[in-house]
Amino acid sequence: MSSFIQEITEGKIDFEGQHLVDLIAKSVLSGSAVVGFLVGFALQDLRVTFGIMALATLTLTMVLLPPWPMFNRHPVKWLPSVDTKAKAE
Amino acid sequence: MHSIFSRINNVSAFLSSCMMALLAAIALSSFVFTADPHGDLAISSIKVVSSNARRYPNKKQDLAFVHFNVTADLTPLFHWNTKQLFLYLEAEYTNKQGVKNDVVIWDRIVRRKEDAVINFAGKNKYMFRDISSTFKNSPPASYSLKYNVMPYVGLLTYGEAARTTEAVAFPPTQSRL
Repeated sequence: MSSFIQEITEGKIDFEGQHLVDLIAKSVLSGSAVVGFLVGFALQDLRVTFGIMALATLTLTMVLLPPWPMFNRHPVKWLPSVDTKAKAE
Repeated sequence: MHSIFSRINNVSAFLSSCMMALLAAIALSSFVFTADPHGDLAISSIKVVSSNARRYPNKKQDLAFVHFNVTADLTPLFHWNTKQLFLYLEAEYTNKQGVKNDVVIWDRIVRRKEDAVINFAGKNKYMFRDISSTFKNSPPASYSLKYNVMPYVGLLTYGEAARTTEAVAFPPTQSRL
């Protein structure tokens, strides 16, 4: 039971997934800052700028924080375990 | 990035960097707007009345009553980073001791672009008196309407919107209004 709760709260993803999360977070956040500035400047409204930033942040928390299956498509392949007991006999 | 908490940490750290850059860009963008609106300021009448100083019953204190007209269209000062304007009317004079004085005698806060067309006729809001208790022998004063643009993000900027064309002399003191 406790390991199940730990798994839920930890939300582990694999190495490829971590790389993808990093890429999405950096590109979406910096992109929305630039787009927000340009659109807000064009419309002369600061609320648009901060609305775009808030929307991007909310979407990113939904997309990046839970361990979605798309971040777990490349599990680490371990070598088969060697049966040391059988050798000794 | 392997667990939820490290992802929260990473994303929020980069978010705060982006926000700082965005705020800096917004603050710098105010320098693009270089509107310098000008209006008119006319002093319609000025009276100097001798009255009792409030604290000292036997002491006389001269008060100046300045009536003025001010018209100015300050809407160009409102852009995306303008929160509000602080307008103030300043009397500038050097008193007979040779001390330069800037006295704010009226002010107004403009919060919306729709209210930025100023058309006001009235008298000074704040008591206008000299520290020497009299305006006698004071050289003429000039009056100016100044503004202070308060942004959402960034630096306060100051400017002058109107000024009397020539200095206005203080009339002789009268004992009653």
